[in-house]
Amino acid sequence: MQDLNKDRSKVFVIIFLVILSAFIYKVGSLQLMDDHYEQKAVNNALNKITLYPARSILYDRFGKVIVSNSAMYDLLVFPKEVKNTNPAFLCQVLQIDTAEFRQRINDALQKSKKRQKNNSFNRSAIFYSDLTIQQYTVIRENLFRLKGFYIEPKTDRRYEITGGAHALGYLGEVTESVMKEDVYYQPGDLVGITGIEKYYENVFRGIKGVKTVWQDRTYAERGVVNNDAFNFPATAGPNVTCAIDIELQKYAEALLTGKRGSVVAIEPSSGEILTFVNKPDFDPNELIGQDRGKAFRRMLIDPKKPLYNRAVKGTYPPGSTVKTVLALIAMQEGVLRPETTHGCNHGYHLGSITVGCHPHGGPLDLVGSLRISCNSYYCQVFRDIIDNPKYGDVKLGYAALERHWRSFGLGSPTGIDLLGESGGNIPSVKQLDRRHGGRWKSSMIISLGIGQGEILLTPLQLANVTAIIANRGYYYAPHLIKSINGTGFLDANWITKFRTKHNTTIDPAHFETVIEGMSQVTKPGGTAVGTGVGDIEICAKTGTAQNPHGKDHSLYIAFSPRVNPKIAIAVIVENGGFGATWAAPIANLLIEKYLKPTAEPFNVAMRERMLKGVINQ
Amino acid sequence: MSNNSYKFNSGSEGKIDFIAFVLYLILITIGLVNIYSVTSDVNQTGFHLSAIATKQLFWIGGAALIILTVIFANVTLIDYFSYYAYIIAILLNVAVLFLGRDVNGAKSWFGFGGFGIQPSEFAKVATAMAIAKFLGTYGIKFKGWKNIGISIGIFLLPMMIILVQNDTGSALVFMSFFLVLYREGMPGYFLVSAVWLGILSIISIILEQKHVSLGYLYGTILGISSFIIYFSRKNKQISILVALVAIVSVGYSAGIGHAYQTILKPYQKDRIEIVLGLKEDHRGMGYNLEQSKIAIGAGRLIGRGFQNGTQTKMGFVPEQHTDFIFCTIGEEWGFVGVLFFFGIYVGLLIRLVQLAERQTDTFGRVLGYSVACILFFHWFVNVGMTIGIIPVIGIPLPFISFGGSSLWAFTLLLFLFLRVDQVRK
Repeated sequence: MQDLNKDRSKVFVIIFLVILSAFIYKVGSLQLMDDHYEQKAVNNALNKITLYPARSILYDRFGKVIVSNSAMYDLLVFPKEVKNTNPAFLCQVLQIDTAEFRQRINDALQKSKKRQKNNSFNRSAIFYSDLTIQQYTVIRENLFRLKGFYIEPKTDRRYEITGGAHALGYLGEVTESVMKEDVYYQPGDLVGITGIEKYYENVFRGIKGVKTVWQDRTYAERGVVNNDAFNFPATAGPNVTCAIDIELQKYAEALLTGKRGSVVAIEPSSGEILTFVNKPDFDPNELIGQDRGKAFRRMLIDPKKPLYNRAVKGTYPPGSTVKTVLALIAMQEGVLRPETTHGCNHGYHLGSITVGCHPHGGPLDLVGSLRISCNSYYCQVFRDIIDNPKYGDVKLGYAALERHWRSFGLGSPTGIDLLGESGGNIPSVKQLDRRHGGRWKSSMIISLGIGQGEILLTPLQLANVTAIIANRGYYYAPHLIKSINGTGFLDANWITKFRTKHNTTIDPAHFETVIEGMSQVTKPGGTAVGTGVGDIEICAKTGTAQNPHGKDHSLYIAFSPRVNPKIAIAVIVENGGFGATWAAPIANLLIEKYLKPTAEPFNVAMRERMLKGVINQ
Repeated sequence: MSNNSYKFNSGSEGKIDFIAFVLYLILITIGLVNIYSVTSDVNQTGFHLSAIATKQLFWIGGAALIILTVIFANVTLIDYFSYYAYIIAILLNVAVLFLGRDVNGAKSWFGFGGFGIQPSEFAKVATAMAIAKFLGTYGIKFKGWKNIGISIGIFLLPMMIILVQNDTGSALVFMSFFLVLYREGMPGYFLVSAVWLGILSIISIILEQKHVSLGYLYGTILGISSFIIYFSRKNKQISILVALVAIVSVGYSAGIGHAYQTILKPYQKDRIEIVLGLKEDHRGMGYNLEQSKIAIGAGRLIGRGFQNGTQTKMGFVPEQHTDFIFCTIGEEWGFVGVLFFFGIYVGLLIRLVQLAERQTDTFGRVLGYSVACILFFHWFVNVGMTIGIIPVIGIPLPFISFGGSSLWAFTLLLFLFLRVDQVRK
């Protein structure tokens, strides 16, 4: 038959091929240009659920649990999914109003956008942190009604004690800046804010696990992804044994209650901190759960400054406690021998300068000068050191003194495992030059000889000095952690830092005379007579630091036993007056408690007086 | 009368075209594999047929019966039955308006318990037969307004009825018969005009939506046409033609701008505007398209692997086993898989044109072109929709999409022609 249009079949084939080419081009441009569609698909279908590890459980040095964990729950939301959800139910359970509900959804939206920028799968964000058990129960039962919401379990701290807050620290919600530095964190995570919780954050936090689940268009979970690369369990933080003796800690807190000050006790042979107390302080139990932020803001503006860690941040003139160190330095410099005597006429008089001293029989040798804490004696010793003819120049003499001081860990941080430690102050030659216009004599800085003036120590440094004397010339950097997982230590850095013996510049032979002097302080004729605790031999030194703002601070350092000392302690009671009034009884009671934990106190009346004592200022 | 009587295959003819048959089998397999994959469980290991994949197997079994029936049927019977089939199809499509059930706002399904039958799918087959029969009738030429009018009327009637069913997608498929008529001698400028009006529509809508005055468009058209008229002023015919085109274009553009604003429903406008890139809406109307593109794009070169297409399995892509099944091919088999599928599909289209051209009578040729054009139109609209170059119009991808009515209708359509081809004189 006749067919005039046969050629038109080619037109059909051409149309097919043109459309085919257009399709191939378009599909190719979707599939082959880059992987952003693939990324979007992954973001759509996977939800990474964080598995929070248990944080390290902290034990005291004898194995008692101090800090453990409790379950805590966050309510998370896919903000885009709830635009049309009726907020009434959640508002009622969480006791928020609709405006706050919307605000929280908006906040979550911003947070989730940030998370997406970091290429995270997860488009959800925290809607409400730290649900109470009641809220958690009700919400979990009704979760099927709350489209776009889910619950993520976390752990929060549980404190078995009320104290130790300044050593242990506390947790708080991670800040933007921390998240920027460490991608490990997500909004809402809890991190150590102070104390060892902060210092050992990377150890204590453990390692988060991840459970990756399929989710469909409605954000409903559709099972765990069967791929080990997407799932790994959380690893709990290791068990941590702290150096602290929790019973001693509690006792110290009780004794210091009603006063302002610090107690730091160290095991001299190891540098382990047995007790670390500041007053005023706070109860760490207040800084957990929903009300964490509220409590923290209240503490921040509290005029009593409960958050202030004076043991490492507070700096005090050491007063007469520094005489022990001066005696050692003078002996090392060869300007003082145990039998050297200096007279005292109610003080030290040099031209217009007078340094007062309390009445006592004289003249005294070195041991007697420590027992009685004679100011004249140490003014003379101080001058002998820096006016030492072998240097020929007061500045060179002073430089030698400064070098010795610094070998006791003074003038710089001790390196304790806490952040923000102050180094106190040991005036340098330059500093004195500035102060005195470049020309000065020993007489002009004579107050340094009795621990006044520019010399400032933290309570921790004072305790460390005591440990040095107890050790006859060396120390280990004080630390709050004894071991990790039973016997192990953290890592080589930790061992280097806390297992390196720091020797002073003083010959160990010189210590015995000073220790003999210290051993007489609590005995008849000593400055702390009457504060003794029976047959326990205590080597001590009182101090009374002048305080331009009010009543003198009461200071006391002590260690015991005299041979193989087990505990070295420093106590500062602000505005406590004489060292023997408050600081000495408190320290001696603590030594007694540590060495004889179960015995009745030798001086019950003294204990009661200390426990009940209140210093108003 | 004995010529028209029912007779079993006498065995004197050639064979069913092997190439087309194999391509068909491959397409059915691609469909089944992808339906199996997309409806399987997320973490599924081992073989497990979902309810939907099982149903599809059942439909395929039915399709096999249809093939056997057609192959053993007498060709004369097919020819004879054409008009009756058409009338029955028209009646069924009218009946469904009253007896059918609502599916997605369209009244185009008869429900039988768990199963449904969509008569509009079979209307395509019957219409193809009827047009073939009409143009194949001895003495009828595709000439003169009367015959052209009847030809167009044969497919416009079911198209209108299906439009009333509110199944725009299925109705639009009947436009593919214009292509068939083109092969039968319809002047080429019909098609050129259609394309030009299409372009004009898009430009008009874009300008309208962007609040740019259509005056610029009119100015451009009139300017260009004046230019042409000036340079071909010696040829009066061209001048008149160009002037006519310009005037009609301007009028059409003004009309379409108005019609667009007043006649189209909001959701239809949305779909058009999203495809034209006038609107970005990743949560509402644009969500489906965006998810569909993500699914295909996620496939990259070699795909995410069998049963690993999360976009489709997790329901981000809508209608993932029916109208959007192409997304699963794209996501799980990647660019390579898409090329393979396109190759097979376009291979079948070209093979059908070849077979149609070797027909010795008009009936066979028109039927062949009808099959090719309907399959082409479905492929063009369905794939074009999923990759975002034409608006979302819900029609299935032949042989691939889940569904009994469409599989049976396309199988019947294809094998009626293959049977006619088998016994060609």
